[in-house]
Amino acid sequence: MRDMIIPGDMVSDKPLRIANGFIQNGKTYSKVLGVYDAAERTIIPLEGSWMPRLEDSVVGIITEARPKVYIVDLSYFGRALLIPGKYDRYEFQPGDIISALIKNIEGKNTIILEDPKPLEGGTILSIKPKKIPRVIGKKSTMVRQIAEYSGTHIVVGMNGLIWLKDGNIALATEALLKVEREAHLSGLTDTIKNFLEKNKSE
Amino acid sequence: MEAIDIVKTSYIKELIAKGIREDGRKANEFRKIEIVSGLIKNAEGSAQVDLGATRVLAGVKLNLDEPMEDTPNQGNLVVSAELLPLASASYETGPPSPDSIELARVVDRGIRHAKCVNLESLFVEEAKAWTVYVDLYVLNYNGNLFDAGSIAAMSALLSTEVPKYEDGKVVREERVSKLKIDNIITSSTFAKVGGKSLLDPTANETNAAYSRVTIATDEKYVRAMQKGMSGGFSAKEIEELIEVAFNNHKEQKDIIKKSQK
Amino acid sequence: MGSSLNKPELVVDGKRLDGRRFDEIRDLKITAAPLKNADGSAYIEWGNNRILAAVYGPKEATPRHLSDPSKAIIKCRYSMAPFSGLSEHGRSGPNRRAIEISKVIKEVFENVVVLSDFPGSEIDIFIEVLQGDGGTRAAGLTAASVAVASAGIHMRDLVYAVSAGRIDEHIAVDFTMIEDNYSDCDMPIAVAPRNNEILLLQMDGEMTKEQMSEAISMALEAGKKVNVAQRNALKEAYARAGEEKN
Repeated sequence: MRDMIIPGDMVSDKPLRIANGFIQNGKTYSKVLGVYDAAERTIIPLEGSWMPRLEDSVVGIITEARPKVYIVDLSYFGRALLIPGKYDRYEFQPGDIISALIKNIEGKNTIILEDPKPLEGGTILSIKPKKIPRVIGKKSTMVRQIAEYSGTHIVVGMNGLIWLKDGNIALATEALLKVEREAHLSGLTDTIKNFLEKNKSE
Repeated sequence: MEAIDIVKTSYIKELIAKGIREDGRKANEFRKIEIVSGLIKNAEGSAQVDLGATRVLAGVKLNLDEPMEDTPNQGNLVVSAELLPLASASYETGPPSPDSIELARVVDRGIRHAKCVNLESLFVEEAKAWTVYVDLYVLNYNGNLFDAGSIAAMSALLSTEVPKYEDGKVVREERVSKLKIDNIITSSTFAKVGGKSLLDPTANETNAAYSRVTIATDEKYVRAMQKGMSGGFSAKEIEELIEVAFNNHKEQKDIIKKSQK
Repeated sequence: MGSSLNKPELVVDGKRLDGRRFDEIRDLKITAAPLKNADGSAYIEWGNNRILAAVYGPKEATPRHLSDPSKAIIKCRYSMAPFSGLSEHGRSGPNRRAIEISKVIKEVFENVVVLSDFPGSEIDIFIEVLQGDGGTRAAGLTAASVAVASAGIHMRDLVYAVSAGRIDEHIAVDFTMIEDNYSDCDMPIAVAPRNNEILLLQMDGEMTKEQMSEAISMALEAGKKVNVAQRNALKEAYARAGEEKN
């Protein structure tokens, strides 16, 4: 049973230490607009900004190349830095697009990235970060079928930025935006498959 | 510009080089226009226009003022525009920006020179005439505010009703007549990206453009033009775009007329 | 307020000018997420009020020296369109009244938003009154609350607001513009509904201690309807999302 919840709604009369919830007077309330899965005891937010986690794969744009550090725009309110190690052999210019992994989160909102891979050309689409798991789909089924039908290279960042290159980018974009809009509906993989099937020829 | 806009800008240029627009439109194709008029009952006239994802609300108010010295027998028209901070992440709070002033002035010039509002009909009595205030409120920005603004202003003016004036007093609760509108103007804005002129540019296309032109026409005449941004157009290009603008005018005029119940 | 000059009859046969009971609020309808660009938004029709609220953020705080590394900062702008009133063309941009309202609304959200979850960030709340007919700050705040929730920003409560006050000897809620102009007191109240904590209260006029208690409890009771409208707006937005065309 999953119920839609609104900030301030009680999800349990016991104190539960769960993400997106808070405890007051021994009871647990939701901080977000979302759904509550009582069996799993999890609050799943429907909207909101990205909350970075270690090892998240992200897509970003280099905004500054300083000696020994790159500043990366992840479309996030905190800072993201890429600090080349002694043996790293990469060089970027402002405006370059990369994918990278989160190595560390320092202080409250400074993200340290590692393992950058250049993404050359193409464009970037931003999707609400909370919809990214749906964009990827179970075992990447969703993003894979969009890539196959459109012939587009797609790299999805957990931060909500998606890199697209070649193929029918307009079709891929439409499909991704449809996933974003309909993320809360069931049977989405088939819906998108039908959509791609119908529109691929045009 | 944000880093992501710079990336999108170079992508738009790449696409245009292949003859494709980001939303698949042809070079001379407008986005869908939707008009709701009379939304704001407190205003004497109003209309909300959706041009794709661009949304502009126009409100009209009539104040009883003293006529200008050089035109003692007529009223006046004042157009203003606000790029509201809720319309785009790139808009800021504060005094009117040069962009909002340019928008208001370009829309104003078209309406004024096409003599859309019958200013003589605004004369009330010795030293009293209506001033028609048109405010353009940008609620969501995705490019081409000039054309959306013109449609909104024109639709709002067509919906405008003049308040009652009795014994030296304005009775706003009662409206006695339609505002006299003699002509309808619409505009066509083109942004030039990679040597191609694109009608009704989106925000991304505007970011990628180096030259822009707005052509306001009625059925017969070009009534106002504004060349924007640092790039240029050839005389031949301008001629072709004027032709397109005239063709668009007929279509848009119909849409505007249909929005009036 | 409280002006007796040309004061119209506000109560006829025990009912208000628009036929409402004293404890009855006007019909209201909220639409969540009507704007495409904003991170969260809401449109409210409350009586003849028409108000848009939008939220941008959490985003990087600017200018940087204003950012707080331990929590989010909130900025709020309440403004009335020059065509929003039935009177003549108004001035553009926030005046002193609007700046004060912006401040007290900002302080309400500083209470309910979990600021420490977004350190170093900025959250912008914009309230644009497109048409006003009394109680715009209550309606604007109510819409802003839905906009903040629809942006997925962490909050402890879905705050709402409603006004209460006195017309002649009658305690009543939710004044129209004309009632507000001639009432003896108008008092907007914002409430965090989980434990009915009052987060905003502005009052001027004339009220006894007993009248104050009665007004506050009437506002809390009437506010339930406001809260239901907020919740419905958020639920409908998610039922609706799937039907939207491309």
